[in-house]
Amino acid sequence: MIARIAYAFREMWASFRRNLTLTIAAILTSAIALLLVGTTFLIQRAFDNLLVQWRGDVEMIVFVRSDATPEQISLIDQTIKAAPTIIDAEKLQYLDKTQSYEEAKRIFVGDPVTLSLLTPDNIPSQFKVVPITQDPELVRSLSEQYRSLPGVQDVALAEDEFQVISTLSRFVRTVTLVMSLVLLVVAVGLIWNTIRTAMFARRREIEVMKLVGATNWFIRVPFMLEGLLHGLLGGIASCGGLWVLNSAWSNGVAGFKPGTGISSLVVPSSYLTGVMLLILAIGALVGAVGSAIAASRFLDV
Amino acid sequence: MIRLESVTKRYGTETVAVRDASFDIAKGDFVFLVGPSGSGKSTLLRLINRQEQPERGEVWVAGQNVNEMAESRVPYLRRNMGNVFQDYKLLPNKTVFENVAFALEVIGKPRHVINRQVPVVLELVGLAGKEDRFPEQLSGGEQQRVSIARAFVNRPLIMLADEPTGNLDPATGEGIMALLEEINRTGTTVVMATHDHRVVNAMRKRVIQLDRGVIVRDQERGVYE
Repeated sequence: MIARIAYAFREMWASFRRNLTLTIAAILTSAIALLLVGTTFLIQRAFDNLLVQWRGDVEMIVFVRSDATPEQISLIDQTIKAAPTIIDAEKLQYLDKTQSYEEAKRIFVGDPVTLSLLTPDNIPSQFKVVPITQDPELVRSLSEQYRSLPGVQDVALAEDEFQVISTLSRFVRTVTLVMSLVLLVVAVGLIWNTIRTAMFARRREIEVMKLVGATNWFIRVPFMLEGLLHGLLGGIASCGGLWVLNSAWSNGVAGFKPGTGISSLVVPSSYLTGVMLLILAIGALVGAVGSAIAASRFLDV
Repeated sequence: MIRLESVTKRYGTETVAVRDASFDIAKGDFVFLVGPSGSGKSTLLRLINRQEQPERGEVWVAGQNVNEMAESRVPYLRRNMGNVFQDYKLLPNKTVFENVAFALEVIGKPRHVINRQVPVVLELVGLAGKEDRFPEQLSGGEQQRVSIARAFVNRPLIMLADEPTGNLDPATGEGIMALLEEINRTGTTVVMATHDHRVVNAMRKRVIQLDRGVIVRDQERGVYE
């Protein structure tokens, strides 16, 4: 068994080196494709930070002063629910100070100055309001009314702040996703072609192997490992690229004025690690798929 | 050991390579398949080691129906057969030792078995001392000996030889035939396709003669004609 594994790896490595130009092309293509996949995830996550407080069709947020009394809070609650034709009372959601603080951690992830000024004590709690009506003017007039209630600090409307970003985010996601899918297919194709070439270069050996009774899997495995290695190396390269890209972006964003929104467009490093692992997995999969197709189709050389 | 029952093989729709061929080869036999080029000799060999599938009829090897065998069993069938070719099919980037060892390596034999069996078989074919040569440093006869060593190193039940003397001068060819006869004496069944009159007439073994895919003669202790 050990002899077989050693054989498979030795053959994989020999073939890998023999065909260096095509190998590099295959690795670079998968690296670029995977880099794009990773970037898609990061962009999406960054936009999500910005949009997290508007998730679930929330169109209006009523911020409640941190020193508001429970009576004031329940008055606000009743007032909002008093317009059931405009407001979806079922979906009305109240985030207390602790929950609001958790949310703020995400919104201000790239803006530590602002975040450091907030505590679970001084942060405003908030009502997230989902309207039923399609008419933005009705919602706007309600917001004016809420603003005058005691205990209300401010009322924010999605229309003013984040509709544009939300649309933009969807557009960017679609474009990058389509591009990375196309590139992934190209990467599979290139790995397929590289493995095919490698098998063709060794057709005499394969012929002898088949005649002396080597099993098809024995013949295939080194080639499949080779393709897997292409994908993995592409994945590693793209992880490096992603890390550089993300660091540069985070540094650049840190220079922006706090509170402009741009500063929330960064991702936590735990998320980056997750994306990198995912990219490695996708890379290995792409390599395995490309080489498996080649290795089963071109065994009869 | 090998039995063909009414085997017909066509390439495409026109060319009939083998038509309604039947014969029975016992264990330990030495059989010549003779006939002009294109008479179907090689096709018969390729049917026996299942490089080809017949259109009609059955091929039996060592008690197994070769045609109904699952694809995954074919490698194990072939481990019972050694193949020798006119053009040797040696790997040019491997030494004599490595070429022979390769046949054991790819069926998963451990290193210590390889290191024991390869020198023995190289001694048998008369190549002791040339283990580290590359094929291009050997004469044609020596290359054919390497290929016989590779075919025999796993001690197969059957040796299939397709024109093994085709590229060799008569004296060298005789040496190869002596080697095949020696292998036959160990109990290995040998089936050899050839159109070399001299070899066939000198050996006086069983002769199966083909003409355009049809068996026209099957004779014990025959000559070429």
